[in-house]
Amino acid sequence: MGTDERRHGGTGAPGHGGKQRPAAAGHGASAGLREGIGKALSVVRQVVGAPDYERYLEHHRRCHAGAAPLGRREFYAEFVTWRFGSGPTRCC
Amino acid sequence: MLALHMRRLLSALVWTAIGVLGATGFGILALRRGETISAAWLLVAGVASYFIAYRFYSRFICLRVFSLDARRATPAERLGNGRDYVPTNRWVLFGHHFAAIAGAGPLIGPTLAAQFGFLPGTLWLVAGVVLGGAVQDLTILVASLRRDGKSLGEMAKQEVNSVAGTAAMVAILAIMVILLAVLALVVVNALKASPWGLFTIACTIPIALLMGWWMKAVRPGRVLEASAMGVALLLLALVAGRWVSLDPTWSRWFTWTGPSLAWAIIIYGFAASALPVWLLLTPRDYLSTFLKIGTVLFLAVAILILLPPIRMPALTRFVDGTGPVFAGKVFPFAFITIACGAISGFHALVASGTTPKMLMRETDARLIGYGGMLMESFVGLMAMIAAATLDPAVYFAMNVPAATLGPDAASAAGKIAEWGFTLQPGTMETLARQMGETTLFSRTGGAPSLAVGMAGILGGVVSGPGLALWYHFAIMFEALFILTTVDAGTRVGRFMLQELVGHVWKPMGRTSWYPSILTTSALVVAGWGYFLYQGVVDPLGGINSLWPLFGIANQLLAAVALCVGTTIIVKMGRSRFAWVTVLPLCWLVSVTLMAGWQKVFSPDPRLGFLSHAASLAGSSVPNAARMIFNDRLDAALALVFMAVVVVVIAASAREWWLVLSGRKAPLVHETPFVETAYGD
Repeated sequence: MGTDERRHGGTGAPGHGGKQRPAAAGHGASAGLREGIGKALSVVRQVVGAPDYERYLEHHRRCHAGAAPLGRREFYAEFVTWRFGSGPTRCC
Repeated sequence: MLALHMRRLLSALVWTAIGVLGATGFGILALRRGETISAAWLLVAGVASYFIAYRFYSRFICLRVFSLDARRATPAERLGNGRDYVPTNRWVLFGHHFAAIAGAGPLIGPTLAAQFGFLPGTLWLVAGVVLGGAVQDLTILVASLRRDGKSLGEMAKQEVNSVAGTAAMVAILAIMVILLAVLALVVVNALKASPWGLFTIACTIPIALLMGWWMKAVRPGRVLEASAMGVALLLLALVAGRWVSLDPTWSRWFTWTGPSLAWAIIIYGFAASALPVWLLLTPRDYLSTFLKIGTVLFLAVAILILLPPIRMPALTRFVDGTGPVFAGKVFPFAFITIACGAISGFHALVASGTTPKMLMRETDARLIGYGGMLMESFVGLMAMIAAATLDPAVYFAMNVPAATLGPDAASAAGKIAEWGFTLQPGTMETLARQMGETTLFSRTGGAPSLAVGMAGILGGVVSGPGLALWYHFAIMFEALFILTTVDAGTRVGRFMLQELVGHVWKPMGRTSWYPSILTTSALVVAGWGYFLYQGVVDPLGGINSLWPLFGIANQLLAAVALCVGTTIIVKMGRSRFAWVTVLPLCWLVSVTLMAGWQKVFSPDPRLGFLSHAASLAGSSVPNAARMIFNDRLDAALALVFMAVVVVVIAASAREWWLVLSGRKAPLVHETPFVETAYGD
């Protein structure tokens, strides 16, 4: 994911970069933890092939800034049709 | 400069050490006789081979054959849409791809092939993956990657010709029917007369419906929390299963015969194909993926901690073709019994489906395509270890059909003694009691014996839950993702059929038109349901005829994929490296055509479909007429598979010749080069 972020630059949440700011003590640490957990969950979602609404929003902001993004419900419905509505996603 | 030299020297030393270690592993596997050896040697031999193959051979293929270029933008980057085309970190995608390709195949095949002893299967798992399976997966992944994620069928049509494209479509549909039938048969055999197992698996349906409703209506798209809830409920159902099996009334309700279970699965498959995906298919897919990844990791850790002793001999007398689990000599039958784990044509569908649309860089294909398949082979090795840790007498008592073992424990012990193994009186009864089952005799299909092996290994590391719980956990783990394949496969088969029929009559091609959905779903279910039912009522257990057919079909699909791969390599102007795919292709074609030929024409009625039919003619065996019909049907199917692959090879060879003789320009239909915007 490192490269992904490098390319699109500054896609992280505000206050991103906990590692470089050891001084930000308590508040920073819990924000860092929360961000870490968020990233870990995103990895799990990608591995099992679950929809990642936050990633979609980020993509949308980057590439289709003018249009309104799909809501969570619509995004999920569309994702499910795409992923399970065509070719094989699992082997024997 | 000096540092560079030092690093090179160090690297040479490390790789030499890995090579020596692997060779020692193989030496010990091959030479030790008459004493048990540790599973560690099997792991050492396998894993060292994987590392060396990955470091040297996959690098050669990526650099020299395909010239993978990190500067070339991938489809995920060029066509990124935040949904299917998503640039994904390579380790994350490695996990995703592995979860997509590994299923019941690499678990069941090695378990059945253990009847030859552990050595033939182990050697084939390792050699097959390194030179064949991983090469196929990588080749198709790269080909699709350079064509915006095109499917195998489309590539066959575009790069070879339309005959090959149609043949590939037919092959895929036919393999799907046999695959679903044989996997469903494995589930039926595992759940038959097992109230605990059936209760747990039955619970997965309401659990999945609840998850589906949650993700659709209550908390849209929250897959992780729905899955956490689902897994917790599933474990609860597993624990409750023991109580069900002990209660006389409840256990009677959940004790089903083979034919009733077959009907239940057939109805379930139809429902799953016709219902909206979000309701049943999606939640089951996530549930089984979590369970699959978790269990495979846990099993790997448990085997590493325990390093159990291997009790199966390296080779059994059954290499001569007299095996009671399935008929046929070690050559060619070990090589079609183990398809998944060594080389699996089905992977070509995933490697040209979801995965190529997610690669961040072209060079990541090496880890995902080649490395992902090595991981599946490792799963196959673990299944082999689990089966080989069983007492061989127990292994045969469980995997040989009742028709061969005879009516009771004494007759079974006598039969097994004839084969040179001793079944101590009471062993099977004690084992059945420990596993919470009424009997373990003739629990064919591979899943129950694998579950006993897994229970021993997992229970050896975490003994708290007890063997019975681990046994049913293993059964649940296998049955859950087999049933997930059954619903997903039926649906995919339905789409393919809709597309095919749509060419003849347009409205049938509309995937959301209900009359079309219902007819095509029913046709696909009827297709595999027929073979399933035939297998369930077959006195020889059905595995004997269906598993080899599945192996042949899967390997022939691999042959189709390798033909497409070779054509692409030749047309890229790299024909001097075409041996990379031609070598495994030649091996596969000879093994499968030979096995197919023997299954059809062998004069031995245990092996050949036609001679078996002939042996039944005029006999007083009940249902002889139906069995004769089924034998002939199986024979016809095997011939169709063989014909398809011959057609594809001929079509491909013609293209190779046209290009190599200069009659046709060596042109491929790759998407033009676009430089990546990613930094280094």
